[in-house]
Amino acid sequence: MLEQGWVGGRRARFDTAGRVRGLVSHVGDQPVGAAAHVAVHRSTQPHALIGAVHTEDALAMPGVYAVLTGADLYKQFGDRLLTGPAFADQPALAHEKVRYVGEPVAAVLAADLATARAATDAVWVDYDELPPVYDLADALEGSAFVHDELKPSSVFGDLRHLRGVRDTNVNYTYTLRHGDAQAAREAGAHTVTGEFWAPPTHHVPIELPCTIAWVDAGRLEMLTTTQTPSYVRQTIADLLDLPLSRVRVTTRPLGGSFGAKMYDRLEPLAAALAWTTGRKVRLVASREEAFLLTTRHGAAVTSSLTADAEGNLVSSIADVRYDTGAYADVGPRITAKSGMVTPGPYRIDTAHVRSRCVYTNKPSAGPFRGFGVPQVTWSHESLIDELAHRLGEDPYAFRRRHLLREGDEAPMGTRMHSADFVTCLDSVANAIGWFEPLERGSGRIRRGRGVAVGVKAVLTPTIANAVLQFNQDASATLLISTVDMGQGSDTIMAQIAADVLAMNSERIHVVRADTDATPYDTITAGSRSTYHTGNAVRRVAQAMRDKLIALGAQHFEVAEADVELTPEGLRSGERTVPVAELVHGHFGARGATLTAEANFTTSWAPYDKETGRSEKVTEHWFAGAIGVQLTVDTATGRVHLEHLAVAGDVGRAINPALVEQQLTGAAIMGIGHALFDQLVLDQGQLVNGTLLDYQLPSIRDLPDKLTPIVVESPHDDGPFGAKGVGETGILGIAPAIANAVRDAVGVRLTTLPLTPESIVTALENKQEEES
Amino acid sequence: MTVRITLKVNGVDHRVAVEDDTLLLDVLREQVGTTSVREGCGVGACGACTVLSGGSSVSSCLALARRYDGAEITTAEGLDENDAVVSSFVECGAAQCGYCIPGFVLMSTELLTDNPRPTEQEITDHLEGNICRCGTYPEIRRAVATAAQRRSPA
Repeated sequence: MLEQGWVGGRRARFDTAGRVRGLVSHVGDQPVGAAAHVAVHRSTQPHALIGAVHTEDALAMPGVYAVLTGADLYKQFGDRLLTGPAFADQPALAHEKVRYVGEPVAAVLAADLATARAATDAVWVDYDELPPVYDLADALEGSAFVHDELKPSSVFGDLRHLRGVRDTNVNYTYTLRHGDAQAAREAGAHTVTGEFWAPPTHHVPIELPCTIAWVDAGRLEMLTTTQTPSYVRQTIADLLDLPLSRVRVTTRPLGGSFGAKMYDRLEPLAAALAWTTGRKVRLVASREEAFLLTTRHGAAVTSSLTADAEGNLVSSIADVRYDTGAYADVGPRITAKSGMVTPGPYRIDTAHVRSRCVYTNKPSAGPFRGFGVPQVTWSHESLIDELAHRLGEDPYAFRRRHLLREGDEAPMGTRMHSADFVTCLDSVANAIGWFEPLERGSGRIRRGRGVAVGVKAVLTPTIANAVLQFNQDASATLLISTVDMGQGSDTIMAQIAADVLAMNSERIHVVRADTDATPYDTITAGSRSTYHTGNAVRRVAQAMRDKLIALGAQHFEVAEADVELTPEGLRSGERTVPVAELVHGHFGARGATLTAEANFTTSWAPYDKETGRSEKVTEHWFAGAIGVQLTVDTATGRVHLEHLAVAGDVGRAINPALVEQQLTGAAIMGIGHALFDQLVLDQGQLVNGTLLDYQLPSIRDLPDKLTPIVVESPHDDGPFGAKGVGETGILGIAPAIANAVRDAVGVRLTTLPLTPESIVTALENKQEEES
Repeated sequence: MTVRITLKVNGVDHRVAVEDDTLLLDVLREQVGTTSVREGCGVGACGACTVLSGGSSVSSCLALARRYDGAEITTAEGLDENDAVVSSFVECGAAQCGYCIPGFVLMSTELLTDNPRPTEQEITDHLEGNICRCGTYPEIRRAVATAAQRRSPA
């Protein structure tokens, strides 16, 4: 294996054996000793002013240590109690008013969790009800406001101008203007339009969120289930008004996350309670509570796509509304990042997009695998498909003709590189037999095929750091703050470093994020780690290689240029010295370590406020395509997936086995979003927030055949040409399935999920129209 | 009322004190220390808390510990690394975050004990109550087929 290097090899995850038998321990498995177990009393109102909070009965229960309210915490922390990545709008406990059913109002600290949970039922609250904002229409047309004024956080400088804006539920608007899209639409020959809806959904990582926090000699320490340890450290330091050096955030491997365990979840409340009471506190969310911590944005898109008489795309227009719930979280970022790709990865003469992030009285929505892009892909991939049908063209060939190529400028102004949409589309079409005749069926079961492509920008700008300790025995310890939550980052980072250092990747240990030890890394999210942290790791390994070569040059008494690092050791001409011997000789000690550090930082050109365009809005692009063959039972409306092919351009696969798992895993998650997965809210109350009621894909929902396809068009600046892949596979699943349903039975559905009821209803409506 | 019961977990007797409403899940995690048994939903709908009692699968998040006095409980920690199911899961890469996988391993063990050569449909039928949110189902299906082959070569 070493002959070909470690990069590109199908190395198993280093800890698979332990994970299979459950020997890898997680945050919730750690013993906590004497601690206060915390449970939360939650709001019963969607929108109300808080009067008195009655805690006496709960306090009187045996085993209850303390009950704290938002007012108690506000007394201590003032406006610092309000945190959030884009807007500092969310209190750890509701202060003055509640904004959704289920919002934390009071925290009970008790000797055990059962006592704490029982005592929350003994807390009651006097509310003064306010008119609720249940949905996007209430929010945009009504006169009730979820927040009195907008409070941008200090994280993103470009939101500063929104501070203090009043009388609106729109906390952010992104606008893309490229040419005169309205005029081009009017002058065009063929226009298709749609009203698209993608409902709120939930991540449901099987591991429940858990946070343990304590005060140690004046420092706040925390062990927590987070993808964003560096962010959490900053948030806690700001909340407690401490220097960063007095906050320590540590993690364990996560039992899945998909965006659920990032930014402010249990951590601000845990820190505030530990700091206020001096007790060690342990917070764990039940599954029902985890549903309320964050969600995926429900999104409405009103859009059109226009072609001229020759079939060239001349205009794309879209109005996008993201329902962000009671707190903005990172919604404004989602709104912009998705707004800019709403026209899709096509050559289009003009584009106009308005994308808004909207407050409502519902549980807050935040990041979810795909970062809002699946919701707009739902629109653009349905529209272009319908336009192809309208023009009598093959939906595959019509897309292919218009797809952006290497060097093309997207409607939002940034050029394409390492984003091979054409090969992705070709390979899924080939895989599902697009060019072969289709047995469509003539009775109740009808067969169809569909394709879709997807495009997403990576999080930009960001910062990654890596520290490498090379141990005298020729093993190594890699310190990074990337969190392995199942994607296998610990494994591929070791592969990258091993490749540079010509060593066995299994001799490299990756240290779990600990802000006392591992260096700053923006976040583990947005599929950014392979490229960004991977580049920092490659650089730190190169720095270490240079150090070893310098030692080798000293050893051999030759110039550094005459020394080479090989799997056998340092070599100069015919002479070789094993690395362990060289390092031992240098220090005169066994077990000594050499240390190197490296940084990788990306830059961007912020988009223009008026046009939303930028020559470099992203460091790189994710490009993917989906092909589906399915049947529809016209009597029951049930969809059966016969073959689903998922392709992603990953630049270069560091580990093809893990890349394929990301593609198929994302596809399976996307199948849920396409066919049944949704949060149901009734007057702001979540009604299916348990796993008895909330349907998730099981092994029964696998397509008969599932084909992952790795496309490699290397990125000039990626580590070994690589980019990330975590989200690529999910972008186009829902529209590819809907397009295949359209092909099979001739109905165009625009509301997700594609339930059997919705398909039967659409078929009945079609029959009525035709008769 | 507190009572003392004996659980034989992975071959070792554990005397534990439980209340009438203590869950088997909590006893295994907090008193026995087998943390491969995990709460994912608390309502018996995800399978992360699966254990084998006398070889039969049980959702320990719904099981009252008192009823298991004297039972022989197997958790994933109790399986040998060379066990056919365990080694097949490892070789097929049938774990991403791995949080749910011990439950799948135990369900697969139960299946192969009752039905040494299951069809693909029978594998699906037996595992459909377990949720892997990373979507490792294709690898899990391959692992179960591999384990069947390994346990009883045709």
